[in-house]
Amino acid sequence: MKKFKLISIVDDDPIAIFGIHKMLNLTVECETIESYINGKVALDGLNKRFKDSEVIPDVIFLDINMPIMDGWQFLEEFIKLPITKKIRINIVTSSIDPYDKQKWEQYKDQTHHLITFNNKPMKKEDIAKITKTA
Amino acid sequence: MLKDPQIQPASYLIKQLPTLTVFVDRTFKIVHASDKWIATFEKDSNNTLGKSIFDVFPEVSHKWKKVLQDCFCGQAKPLGVHKHIDANQTEKWYEWSNTCWYDLNENIIGAIIQINDVTESIENELELEKTKNLLNQQSKSSKTGRWEYDIVSNKISWCDITKAVHEVPMDYVPDIDSAIKFYKEGYSRNAISMALYEASEKGTPWSEKLQITTATGIDKWVLTTGKAIFKKGELVGFSGTFQDINDQIIAHLETKKNEKLLRTLVDNLPLNVYVKDINSRKILANKAECDFFEVDNENDLLGKNNFDLYDAETARTYTEQDIRVMTNLTPILGEELICTKKDGTQTIFLSSKIPLFDENGTANGLIGISLDITNIKQKEKELRNLIDVTSLQNKKLINFAHIVSHNLRSHTANFSMLLDFLHHEECEDEKKKILNMLDSASKNLLETIDNLNEVVAISTNVNLETKEVNLHERITAVKKNLSDFIDSNQASITNNISKKETLKAVPSYLDSILMNFITNGIKYKHPKRKPELTLDLTKEGNFSILSVQDNGLGIDLKKYGNKLFGMYKTFHNHQNARGIGLYITKNQVEAMGGKIEVESEVGKGTTFKIFFNEKI
Repeated sequence: MKKFKLISIVDDDPIAIFGIHKMLNLTVECETIESYINGKVALDGLNKRFKDSEVIPDVIFLDINMPIMDGWQFLEEFIKLPITKKIRINIVTSSIDPYDKQKWEQYKDQTHHLITFNNKPMKKEDIAKITKTA
Repeated sequence: MLKDPQIQPASYLIKQLPTLTVFVDRTFKIVHASDKWIATFEKDSNNTLGKSIFDVFPEVSHKWKKVLQDCFCGQAKPLGVHKHIDANQTEKWYEWSNTCWYDLNENIIGAIIQINDVTESIENELELEKTKNLLNQQSKSSKTGRWEYDIVSNKISWCDITKAVHEVPMDYVPDIDSAIKFYKEGYSRNAISMALYEASEKGTPWSEKLQITTATGIDKWVLTTGKAIFKKGELVGFSGTFQDINDQIIAHLETKKNEKLLRTLVDNLPLNVYVKDINSRKILANKAECDFFEVDNENDLLGKNNFDLYDAETARTYTEQDIRVMTNLTPILGEELICTKKDGTQTIFLSSKIPLFDENGTANGLIGISLDITNIKQKEKELRNLIDVTSLQNKKLINFAHIVSHNLRSHTANFSMLLDFLHHEECEDEKKKILNMLDSASKNLLETIDNLNEVVAISTNVNLETKEVNLHERITAVKKNLSDFIDSNQASITNNISKKETLKAVPSYLDSILMNFITNGIKYKHPKRKPELTLDLTKEGNFSILSVQDNGLGIDLKKYGNKLFGMYKTFHNHQNARGIGLYITKNQVEAMGGKIEVESEVGKGTTFKIFFNEKI
């Protein structure tokens, strides 16, 4: 089993956070799993980590529809941060709007981070797959 | 010497004759000539005597030599009429006569020639001949005949042309009864009888266009004229002319028919048709054009120019167009034009103007054709509005579909995930936790469905009942409902709206809108300030605008402007933000035909302007 130092979950839905958390516990070994309730909080938190030279997450689970700052707005700002480490960012959304898929395609090519797209509900197998390649 | 005294006096006598007389001897030499003769025919009067007559009239020598020779033998014949160019170069006609000239012994010694100037009578004769020919020709070509009726002998005479018009043989002998019977029974026969009567009683001449039925049974139009002839106060007969005018009348009737056809066509076209002269004055207006100007008679429009009929601006535009058409000689086709009449009523026309050419190819007027497209334009506008509404609805529908798919899917995703956990969970405590979550997920789903239901209700409620609502009263009522909330937040609300002010709105929507903006204004208060709200009302066109101003947190419109009224969008980290209020409010305002505008500055406050449509 692969060992991770930090996995971050960005989602405004506590049930979704609970679910991903639980599945991660079952599939990977990770020292810390942290969660943010919207994009703004996440951006601030991760920026602080980067500035303070703290641990940068290996994997980020990112919801799209969130108040204050949504997933896309977060992504827009996050990829600007000069983080050299290649992070796997998993978009996790309940949206089946083709527009969201297009946006993902758009961001995918703009960064060295690996961005993937998953629809809710996530399954254990999905989590396993994501963490294996991360 | 014996002869001389006899001759001399004779010669002198001859000299004085007032006629053109000349004596020639048997060798054609002129022996005597009257002074008048010499003056008429000779330039040089001294050389006349002794000259041959043929020297004076070289052009006649051959023919007359013979006649004169006969005369010398005692057989004098007239020489006839001869044309001669005289000394003054004028053309003259002369009649020549000659007699034998005897000496005392009854010997013919020559001929006496007398010449008469007949120029005038010849010319008269020629003139007469010409006139006769002309008259004949005229009467033939105009088919004008003559007739006469002699009462005494009860005889009527027709000339050949009159007979030809009646289509009777040339040997036909008409009588007065049959002559009248040629006229068609009814109007024509009555009219001719009346004319004859009037002429005989009062001496009035007549000239009537009547119909006859010819001998071959053909109906014909004739012009019959006549007058009574009186002798010593006694009526002795009638005479007059008789002209076949069938072709003219038929042509005239045909023209009339065509004119009528054209007029009927022009009058019944569902288009305004008019003709203008070079000064833009109307010289023809069809029925539609008369109806447009609300006049019964075309004459009320004729002679009027643009400035007589339209308001100044329209008149100027029309006049410019008219001049353009007549100057450039190119028609204007299907130009859209707003026409304002003197009374201010407006009509949209699709108008065409075509130049009218005179025989020299210059335009001396124009034909105008206008189609009233006001209704079509109105329909087009309505249709465009409908398309706008439809596309807006469509956009809303797509937005709504997206909301449904996203918001409902997120709940079902949670259900499915939690149930999967529950299925595999063995720890009782964990199971309890999952069940609690399922419970809350179910509550969330219910709430979402309720919200969606509310939105659907607004969007599908087409039969909105708007009423005149007193705004001040509604605000007071909402304030009362929210009094606990207002008090606990130490908020103050300033209602600047007059107590008389009314709005056209759905009362329940208005309450919901007021409730929403007031709670929002207080909910998103600035942490360092007591919330203050100000409500005002202004009018702008068809809209009453309610503005709600707060001194709260403000919203970054650059970031959130396009999402402000979206469903489930929240912008402040506030525990009670549900992201549904503004979405519903916006739907309600739009359902009433209004809109919402927003101005905001982060840290200072927000002003919402709610537009209520008063024309709905």
